[in-house]
Amino acid sequence: MSLLRKAEQCFANQQAYKLLNAFVTPPSLGAVLQQHKQDLQAADERRNQGLEKSPIDGQLIAIKDNICTTEQPTTCASAILGGFHSPFPATVVEKLKSAGALIAGKTNLDEFGMGRGRSHSTKSIHGAVKNIYKQEGDDLSAGGSSGGSAIAVATGQCDAALGTDTGGSVRLPAAYTGAVGFKPSYGMVSRWGVVAYANSLDTVGVLARNSSDARNVFDVIKGYDPHDPTSILESTRVRITEHILKRKSELGWGSAPTLRIGVPREYNTEELQPIVRRTWQNILRQLQGMGHSIHILSLPATKMALSAYYVLAPAEASSNLAKYDGVRYGNRSSGREGSANVLYARTRGAGLGEEVKRRVLLGSYSLSAAAIDNYFIQAQKVRRLVQEDFNNAFALQHPLLKSKSKPSRGADVDIILTPTAQSLPPKLSSLSRSDPVQEYSADVLTVPASLAGLPSLSLPVPISSPAGSGADSPKSVGMQILAQFGDDDLVFDVARMVESL
Amino acid sequence: MSRVVSTYGLCHKVPKPPLKAANRWHSLRVASLHSQWTLLSNHGRALQTDAVQANDVPFRKHLKDEAKRKRHAERNVKEDHHTGSRGKKEEALRLGKWKLTVGLEIHAQLNTERKLFSTAKSSDNDVPNSSVALFDLALPGSQPEFQKVTLIPALRAALGLSCKIHRESRFDRKHYYYQDQPAGYQITQYYRPFAVNGRLTLYDHDGIAPEDGQSIDIGIKQIQMEQDTAKTTLQPPSTAMLDFNRVGHPLIEIITHPQIHHVQTASACVRKIQLILQAVNAVTTGMELGGLRADVNVSVSPKDSEILGQRTEIKNLSSFKAVEDAIIAERDRQIVVLESGGFIEGETRGWTLGSTETKKLRGKEGEVDYRYMPDPDIPPLIIGQDLTSHIESFIPDLPDVILKDLTMHSGLTSKDAKTLMVLDDGERLDYFDDVKLLWSIRRASSKPVMDVEHTQRSISDDVADRRQSGLSRLADSSPVFDRVVANWVLHELGGLLSTAALPFSPDLVPPNSMVDILSNLSENRITGTTAKRLLAMAFNGDRRDINTIIHEENLALQHLSRDEYLAMAQSLIDENSDKVKQIQQKGQMGKLKWFVGQMMRQGEGKVEAIKAEAILKELLGVS
Repeated sequence: MSLLRKAEQCFANQQAYKLLNAFVTPPSLGAVLQQHKQDLQAADERRNQGLEKSPIDGQLIAIKDNICTTEQPTTCASAILGGFHSPFPATVVEKLKSAGALIAGKTNLDEFGMGRGRSHSTKSIHGAVKNIYKQEGDDLSAGGSSGGSAIAVATGQCDAALGTDTGGSVRLPAAYTGAVGFKPSYGMVSRWGVVAYANSLDTVGVLARNSSDARNVFDVIKGYDPHDPTSILESTRVRITEHILKRKSELGWGSAPTLRIGVPREYNTEELQPIVRRTWQNILRQLQGMGHSIHILSLPATKMALSAYYVLAPAEASSNLAKYDGVRYGNRSSGREGSANVLYARTRGAGLGEEVKRRVLLGSYSLSAAAIDNYFIQAQKVRRLVQEDFNNAFALQHPLLKSKSKPSRGADVDIILTPTAQSLPPKLSSLSRSDPVQEYSADVLTVPASLAGLPSLSLPVPISSPAGSGADSPKSVGMQILAQFGDDDLVFDVARMVESL
Repeated sequence: MSRVVSTYGLCHKVPKPPLKAANRWHSLRVASLHSQWTLLSNHGRALQTDAVQANDVPFRKHLKDEAKRKRHAERNVKEDHHTGSRGKKEEALRLGKWKLTVGLEIHAQLNTERKLFSTAKSSDNDVPNSSVALFDLALPGSQPEFQKVTLIPALRAALGLSCKIHRESRFDRKHYYYQDQPAGYQITQYYRPFAVNGRLTLYDHDGIAPEDGQSIDIGIKQIQMEQDTAKTTLQPPSTAMLDFNRVGHPLIEIITHPQIHHVQTASACVRKIQLILQAVNAVTTGMELGGLRADVNVSVSPKDSEILGQRTEIKNLSSFKAVEDAIIAERDRQIVVLESGGFIEGETRGWTLGSTETKKLRGKEGEVDYRYMPDPDIPPLIIGQDLTSHIESFIPDLPDVILKDLTMHSGLTSKDAKTLMVLDDGERLDYFDDVKLLWSIRRASSKPVMDVEHTQRSISDDVADRRQSGLSRLADSSPVFDRVVANWVLHELGGLLSTAALPFSPDLVPPNSMVDILSNLSENRITGTTAKRLLAMAFNGDRRDINTIIHEENLALQHLSRDEYLAMAQSLIDENSDKVKQIQQKGQMGKLKWFVGQMMRQGEGKVEAIKAEAILKELLGVS
């Protein structure tokens, strides 16, 4: 099928699934076709001659609306940035374009990416994202905060999409919608032009229909960017690759290595739905059957990870979002401030949504002089413990840390396999009734990898007996593959292997 | 698989904030602000030097003021002893019971071409908002890019103040809202500054209080790098224009230990820090020009108490006088409060010029909590020993060394030496050095003056070489000649500059011309009057060679014969018999000078004062 034909199908799907609200400004069919037709024909031409710019040449990639593009507004689904046009594009967008990809549009999200457990892409000025799946006739959550990107991919409105993952924002919606969601190692992909939520955790991730597609996009967007001070240097990347290859050659790994797969006890929570646990067990059994070995291990800091995350991320958010005052760009309230010594209370009060305000307040508190020692500093210590847990679990040494000669404790694993979420997607109607603190706990399985900066991929694993009775009930459970920092390739390799089971 | 029961709840529930009805929105393209914003100020801001202060005090005036104050102080002490001024006595008594303690925080703009975290040029004089990078405006998705070049002046400053340089330092965010702070936070070095444990010595000639004796050491707690804010220009009634050129310009904040106990010493310390920063070429301009600003922490405690009193902070002082006046006012306020049984609150206060008291800006309850947080985007700053050593090797002589050289070796008065050092950002001192050096080389060499071109070339090369290697101070010279040079460079040239209201430039009177004038004068080939006339001619643009002028204008001193002196003197004596009487009978020797003056005027530059005086004395029979 020609790229043009494939794109036309995507555009048709965009119209068909308009009501799911995946895109912030759903483009009209004629307009997008008009806009991209020439480029698509040119891409087809290149493909016919075997001169593709890249494996994603001529593909339609959707961009989460907290990643800057110059053609469309970048709103972060926030009233304060309604209609905001960024004067510069994100590095990842530039990279996609020079690889021949076309921008399918900007996708819906929870305001400033503050979603996942709590918001499920419902906290957007553009309206909530809806899942294609339903349960007993009720709409289900698409997960957040990259819910728009996930649904756009799952419903064939684009070939792949970029999301951002701070504590699970790519992986959770992937798990809820049956897409593949990949979060790279921190620093692998440039964040220049990606609107910061919690910048020590923020990563640009990929959503796609299978792991190969995701990998193709990742291969295009990764790389050192001098504009991003947290981007991994080229020389360090070479060092990481050598470090990983050295171990592989020592072990004599060929194309189908035998892996040691870790199963952390702490991830088998009480709240885990039976269908999720069952799927997890099935996969592990099958992998064992292929000759891989399964190792139960402990990541004791996991229990504190969620609390630490919900101290650190809001703290950074309260700082990063201080810039939205309506003075230089964005929107400003026309009302006058009521009291002296107040500058932006009305503007920020009206321009930021409820969940954003909640996290800004939470973060402002945990950074305040009276609370920082008990909250922010403690949370940073927990973060270090979480990292140490993973370093103890993985056989591969962390490539950026000084090598320590630790005695092997028998559990040194190559990857860790866990569920991505504790449950299938919940009903949207149940979310509005629930307690925010309870809802935060939906991130419990994704947050540790974010705190440690590890590569992690959520893979949809088909479920044998559908949970609901209807034909539109969820058809897969998200399984999360984690590897040591820098070993993003292994995550993809394992995903490919599981996909072929 | 075992099952683990676990709770992942958070420690606190946050109550939902009440939501206000959504306001109407409008987009904002121009930075015009509500009028009420203009009422706000003083949020622990970075450098607030928006306009050149109206109270700019040139340094020489400051020196005069200082001298005047010293005289007053001495007189007051005498008066107290003899006549006993009751008010003064009471004040002295009161002050005698209390000990003042002051710590300083000095902000200075670094002399560097880049902003701290963007590649935009750091300029204050460009068209508004023409030198602004994406990050400077805190645009969504932009990130900081540390500019290594800004480290050079920062390290010079730290080394000039004898600090220990931390190999690893970090950048933190200091949060507060203000329209001149685009990100909602200032990037600074709160938890781990790049330089600590410095020291400077203040001597009596630096103008410290007499109670501090000959010298006092002040410890520097730390120096941190940080960002400047935007410049606000108010357009009443309701508009504030923002110029973001200055946003992100690198500053250093120098924090002293609270080791200052006298007002004069505090301002001497600020001045000395400025002098050092300029000497090592770390800063753009001095305090009086807006490149420097001080916050002072003031407390008083009972004289014998070891424990410091509660301190208050007075922010944004942008002149030496403001530093002194604010400390005096705050000290007196605290004493009054304490003596009337009250207690001092830890608060931030402001001072406006010309006022007699500090004004409370915000109390403890209103204190801004800056919520310091390590900046997650900026990696730790690693400063290698090689860089530090390299910069250290290029640090020029510090003011104390120069001052010692000028007073000990060149025989200048401490006042002249200091004036020379601070004028024109050190350019006048360079000029002095050039003239001094050229002249000494001229004296040492027996080269004929005619071989000007060759000599000039080699001499200026030599000057450049010597200056580069820091040797200029070591050039052979003698105090006699150096004092002459200083006198002419400071006072004669200075007089012409202030009359013409021109800024100094070494090209106005090239060093070579100055040397020509001075050597002709010292070798008695011209009179002092002629020398001044030649200087004025050169100053006013006469580019002829000095010796050519002397020749063409017939200005060379022609030695009159003894008979000519005698005739001139005798006729004056005959015409002024009354004055002669006053000298001979009443011994009014001052009148003799009048005769000398008359002879010199008549002689039109040919009469030498010493000879004239000798002849007059001879004729009048006085000695």
